[in-house]
Amino acid sequence: MAPRVAIIGLASDFGCQVQVTNMEDHLLDVLGLMDLSYWQLASSGHLPDEYDVAVIEGAVTTADHAEALLKARETAAVVIAIGSCAITGGIPALAGTADYDARYGVVYGDGVAVARGRQLPAPVSSVIEVDYHVPGCPIDPAEFVTVLSRAIMGLKDDMPRDPMCAICKTQENVCFLDRGRACLGLVTRTGCTAKCVTLGRPCTGCRGISPEANIPAARLVYAEKGLDPLELDRLFDLYNAAREVVV
Amino acid sequence: MSTLTVEHVARIEGHGTITVEMESGVVSDVRMDVIEAARFFESMVVGRRFDEVSLITSRICGICSPNHALTSLKAVEAAFGIEVSERTELLRKLFVYGSYLQNHATHLYVFAAPDFVGLPSVFPLAQTHPDIVERALRIKKTGNDLTTLIGGRPVHPITAVVGGFSAEPSASDLRAMAVRLEALVADTVATAELFQSFEVPSFETSGEMLALVDDDDYAIYDGETAALDAGWRRPAAEYRQFIAETVVGHSNAKHSTVAGRTFMVGSLPRINLSSDRLMPRAAKTLATLGIAAPSRNTFLNNVCQAVELVDAAERCAMYIDRLLGVGGSTAPQPFTIKAGSGAAASEAPRGTLYHAYSIDDDGIVVAGDVITPTAQNLGNLEADMRAYAPTIAHLPKDEFILSMEKLVRAYDPCLSCSVH
Repeated sequence: MAPRVAIIGLASDFGCQVQVTNMEDHLLDVLGLMDLSYWQLASSGHLPDEYDVAVIEGAVTTADHAEALLKARETAAVVIAIGSCAITGGIPALAGTADYDARYGVVYGDGVAVARGRQLPAPVSSVIEVDYHVPGCPIDPAEFVTVLSRAIMGLKDDMPRDPMCAICKTQENVCFLDRGRACLGLVTRTGCTAKCVTLGRPCTGCRGISPEANIPAARLVYAEKGLDPLELDRLFDLYNAAREVVV
Repeated sequence: MSTLTVEHVARIEGHGTITVEMESGVVSDVRMDVIEAARFFESMVVGRRFDEVSLITSRICGICSPNHALTSLKAVEAAFGIEVSERTELLRKLFVYGSYLQNHATHLYVFAAPDFVGLPSVFPLAQTHPDIVERALRIKKTGNDLTTLIGGRPVHPITAVVGGFSAEPSASDLRAMAVRLEALVADTVATAELFQSFEVPSFETSGEMLALVDDDDYAIYDGETAALDAGWRRPAAEYRQFIAETVVGHSNAKHSTVAGRTFMVGSLPRINLSSDRLMPRAAKTLATLGIAAPSRNTFLNNVCQAVELVDAAERCAMYIDRLLGVGGSTAPQPFTIKAGSGAAASEAPRGTLYHAYSIDDDGIVVAGDVITPTAQNLGNLEADMRAYAPTIAHLPKDEFILSMEKLVRAYDPCLSCSVH
């Protein structure tokens, strides 16, 4: 029997869900792998009481999100987090600084109370255990299919571990750091084919930190290249503001 | 008193709930509760560097990310006084149309069409009407491929930077894309015919209609803001002087008014204001289908999106021809980082999108402001819902709900955008 899959969106731009629809050539084949129980973006219907796989997009930014996650973990045998928002807190976590409540005033003034139940933006793993991860902003649909297939077959989560630099070298890109421009390839988890650098833009760290990354050493490289070592941390905040900072 | 709610309305981008209050069978209140979480983008960009703004604001919306990226780049360029090359402008226009093809095709076929054929989603149509699903995927894929060719991927462009592009597609890839786009015209005309064949109520909105206009072009990338009823045209960068935003208690998205009236933005207002600027096949399609612009029927926004698909396929092929003939470069030219403020607008698929930023001497953002199309539409959508609900209150509950959802989807709301 095909596993029953529910796709659940928290605080996000829906970009990763859109990426799932963006594999036009394979979309129907992929949907054939599963019994799609709930997908608000693409289908009418309510979140059912029972399903096997929860695919979670978005960061946790409200009490309702946290509650929805606890319910999903209780219901589903497998939880897959997709995208930076869900995995690292992503762009929403950029707002999660000490003055978080002051941001309400910047946007809404002192008028009517909306955005109720808001809490500091955080990754899904801050609330429940996550079994599988599809990193990136946005996700690569092919990687989503691979991870979904692994989850359905019961294989272990197999996120690439190396920093992005390794794959970038194989693309024969000219190194930004060698040209005195900040790039986060040194510390960011690989798996993306170094597309941004190939297209003329430095890595922005959207896939999160590589478990092999050596942050203090990377800061030294920045200093060697004539860059402010703390620029590495400032840039890495873009998608990883909710991380534990390495001193 | 009874309350009818449709929680997490399906097949729209973002989370919203329709609430209808009835008193002894008479509709007493109707609301669109936007429960989508606030992410505080306008505060988020503060303290970040000018060249990170488009990376951040692109993430307001995963469906129309190219439009947010480009509009924020234009606002930053306005703050610095940067003029981009003709080549960059052409490539950006093509980029916007890639987004149109993808967005309109997704809305029409994935979000809206199931309502008219009595299905929960488009997927079962793959068995019963494979030709329609294949056509939908062809249009959507062409849009995504065009966006990818220019921006590096369909969602969240890589190459769009302040002053131009960090990389450019090859002439041969562009030529191949032009051939595909010309071939796509037939699919887009068939889409317009399909949506015109769906019966819609003869409902008229009472709101104003706003869109960008341009004397020489169907205004998408740039233009002045025009008001259909009031008859004025104003510089779009002055949007804060004519659009008023208010916080409403039941929605995380603010509501907008112009001269005290709610208003609509999107394909219907654009066609109402610029039907004489459509490409020939698009103009012919509009005429053949018997759509007389200006129209006030909100439900016609769907078929107007389809007419814009025809226009996009035709126009992109023309833009590619022009791009291949024009020289110059899309590489950013050197510019000076200086303190200043800039505002800009463009037509995103769902309507006019405004971005404004103030930047300090070091290139750090000190203030940001974004008004999205759906935020502009929400007040008018609610007014339409309040006017429409009593006229269908006699229908069985399921039909009543479906009719209300059809009205909501006609606006193609993007609630992530509306809250941001």
